[in-house]
Amino acid sequence: MNGASLHRIRLPRGTTLTVEVGAQIRPDEVIGLRRGPMLPIRVPVTAPLHCRPSDLDAVLLVRPGSPVAEDDPIARDAGGREVHSPVTGLVVAAMAVDGTLLIAPLGPEEPVIGHIRGRIRGLEEHALVVEVPGARLRGVGGSGDAVHGELMIGVRSPDEELRAAAIDSAATGKILVGGSRASAEALTRARAMGVAGIVLGGVLDKELRDFEAIQRRRQQAGGLTGSFGILLLEGFGKVSIDPQLFGWLTEQHGKMASLVGAERLLYLYDSGRPPMRRALPKVGEWVVAHRRPFQGRTGVLVALLDETHAAPSGIPARSGLVRFEDGRLAPLPLANIEAIVRPSES
Amino acid sequence: MIDAARPAEVATTELSLLVDVGSAWTKATLVGRSRGRWRLAAQAAQPTEWGDDELMRTLAAQLAGTADPRLTSRLASLISDAPRIDCHTPTRPGRIALAAISAEVSGRAARRAAEAAGWVVVEAVTADDGRTVAERLSALQSVEVDAWLLAGGFDAHGGEGALEMAGLVAAARGGGRSPVVWAGSAALTERVAALFDRGVLRQVANPRPSAGREDATSLRRHLEALIERLVEPTGVRGLAPVGLRRSVAELARAGGLRVAAVDLGARYATWIVADPAGHGRSRVLAAGGLASPLLTAPGGASRVAHSMAVAVDELAVADALQNLRARPGSLPQTEEELAIVHGAARLLLGELAADGTTLDGIDLLIGAGRTVAAAPTPGQAMQMLLDGVRPLGVTQFAIDAAGALTPLGALGDDEIAEGLGMLRDDLLTPLGAAVVTRGGRSGQPAMRVTVHRTGWPTVGPVEIRAGQVQLLPLGRGQAADLDIELDGGATLGGPRRSRRVRASVIGGTVGLVLDARDIPLVLPRRADDRRAVLASWRDTLGREAALPPGGGA
Repeated sequence: MNGASLHRIRLPRGTTLTVEVGAQIRPDEVIGLRRGPMLPIRVPVTAPLHCRPSDLDAVLLVRPGSPVAEDDPIARDAGGREVHSPVTGLVVAAMAVDGTLLIAPLGPEEPVIGHIRGRIRGLEEHALVVEVPGARLRGVGGSGDAVHGELMIGVRSPDEELRAAAIDSAATGKILVGGSRASAEALTRARAMGVAGIVLGGVLDKELRDFEAIQRRRQQAGGLTGSFGILLLEGFGKVSIDPQLFGWLTEQHGKMASLVGAERLLYLYDSGRPPMRRALPKVGEWVVAHRRPFQGRTGVLVALLDETHAAPSGIPARSGLVRFEDGRLAPLPLANIEAIVRPSES
Repeated sequence: MIDAARPAEVATTELSLLVDVGSAWTKATLVGRSRGRWRLAAQAAQPTEWGDDELMRTLAAQLAGTADPRLTSRLASLISDAPRIDCHTPTRPGRIALAAISAEVSGRAARRAAEAAGWVVVEAVTADDGRTVAERLSALQSVEVDAWLLAGGFDAHGGEGALEMAGLVAAARGGGRSPVVWAGSAALTERVAALFDRGVLRQVANPRPSAGREDATSLRRHLEALIERLVEPTGVRGLAPVGLRRSVAELARAGGLRVAAVDLGARYATWIVADPAGHGRSRVLAAGGLASPLLTAPGGASRVAHSMAVAVDELAVADALQNLRARPGSLPQTEEELAIVHGAARLLLGELAADGTTLDGIDLLIGAGRTVAAAPTPGQAMQMLLDGVRPLGVTQFAIDAAGALTPLGALGDDEIAEGLGMLRDDLLTPLGAAVVTRGGRSGQPAMRVTVHRTGWPTVGPVEIRAGQVQLLPLGRGQAADLDIELDGGATLGGPRRSRRVRASVIGGTVGLVLDARDIPLVLPRRADDRRAVLASWRDTLGREAALPPGGGA
């Protein structure tokens, strides 16, 4: 898709916005500030007031959920004596058992970055709606945070596997386009090298799972920094990116892009229109197949079959004959193929 | 379909269109009046993204083969002008965050109620989840939800921990419009309510009022109403899970039967049980369909591979399950992919039917959704239902092959019985019946069944050993009386533990299944042995039914 599309940037709870509706934002721009909760501290309340723990509710001036600033009064007894909050934080719980208040101090102010370029069109509860000028690609899978960076092509052909050895410091901060697959080792190395994100045709579920497990362990050990996103364009397994799309991505090398893994989206700024996909292809159109054994392979739909045709699975379906690039002819359910529409044809 | 007595220039027909728009596939049924009776005239199913125009073209093309030639040129307009009854899968699931004292007691009961009501639990924090308070708070702050669910504490003694969890939710929620449901200790209600602004909190009966009691009915009902209000405020009758429940309840009422139905879709899975009084209750799992995270979570692929009769590499199963989730509108292309999908379906049906009660005394079990109702062979549909649901006792099986049952449930209260009644003969495709036992000693006889059919020689007694399954011929519409003699500790459920049971059944496209494989299914540990057993079951249910040698034991 090209032109403008609306994208919703989710804002963590507690974010104070630093931008306004109508403002133009850059991918690296700070759109808000947020102070995350830290390990809560227990603040004695009834003891300093010389009352019983069970009287806690009677003396409290705040309740769980309330934000408090440092030195704010949090409790007061009938005689006017007060207890003040030792920190700026969020009241998490009031413990009538020991007469204390649990307050989660707020950590240092951290910037919230949108990773998207565009104009802010609206503000929703916990989200910003941004009009994004540029091409948008939607994948079939993805994971990780929103990231941005220049697009970089990491393989020579769309069916090539992205190898760990091919990832070096030149890819730091970039969104790297791999080919048909990347191993857990390649993904781990990419992250370690500071690659912002990776776009792949396919990936083995096992490799992705292994990579995510490694990241979790590193996170628990406190050794994980920076964000990283993965976008899957075609499917799971070793699946080539279709050559036309790969060709278009190659033309965008060096341009700024935003990858939102969890939403399976890639935005490319200052780019022409990408080849698009359309369900229910017509005879003569270039198509891509989505199921094994032809997953990711492209060809031309040469005919529609008059009657429903049973696939080898035995499922009868409306089908068409596809001539693949290697000359092989195969009947495929129309539900399993999509037309590849060049920008000039759409 | 046409009134032949009318002159050609005014030739017309009475048509109605029933459409079920699923998240991946749309099913449409065209019904027309023919010789005074309403019959199915055309059916189509296609990926939802193909759109309405293509659906109309497909129906018109089908109808063209059988319609009166005088109507041929006007079929498209006749179909598009026909009264249309639509239903659809909810456009998006409701998202809820759960905070409870314990994962296994209050958290489990609350989660089950929320999921059964159609919510997706996007985050669950419990006091025993091993996280720090700050981590729990961060987790709750980072989710985007439509509502919050708080649970914990028995009614008799407070459960102060629930107050801490309520405080966490109050801190994480930080204002806004999202409602909070309190389903914890009644003794704490006032103190929990004090944490939120007026009108935010709604108290519901505690699903775990004491250690030995769990009753989540009130919570589930409240959450059902809440999801309808928040996610589908324009009305729920057009929602597929609601339509199916209404249709199944009416079928049960009209037939004086206990009817169960399962609808396995791409995203949603729905489980309905309706009693002869026409009361239907449902479990709607918004993430219980073939794109379920259950299949793609660690261990999911292994469980599916474990249940397959063919040896498929677990990594390939995992990729296939992910692709199923990524492209739910596509179809299994190879036999291997189909085996994986059917394995996944059996697993999901088992999860769906496992609502804490043994499923016995069901008179009719209906399978809906493309995977089951449009399986390549009726035997495959029967096996998915039998192996997944494991209904104890004597049960009739049918599939909603036309996909008309759900949209008919979107009719008004006063029309639904008429709608179902008009299509009575065409509505469901009967698969046959099954006798399913529980228990029995391995290798020993579990039941002996004698089949009496009017005008046919008696068959049997057919001896079925524990662990065996056998298919007997019983054609569509053919009635039979069964004498069932139980042995070796096998049971058919029900209040009486009689060793001799009589039952009447009606045949279908598969026949009569005598199933002594126990509940749940018991499989050998060794992979080769397990696959051999699974293959023998698959072959038994997949081949054409035949009388046993000698006609009996």
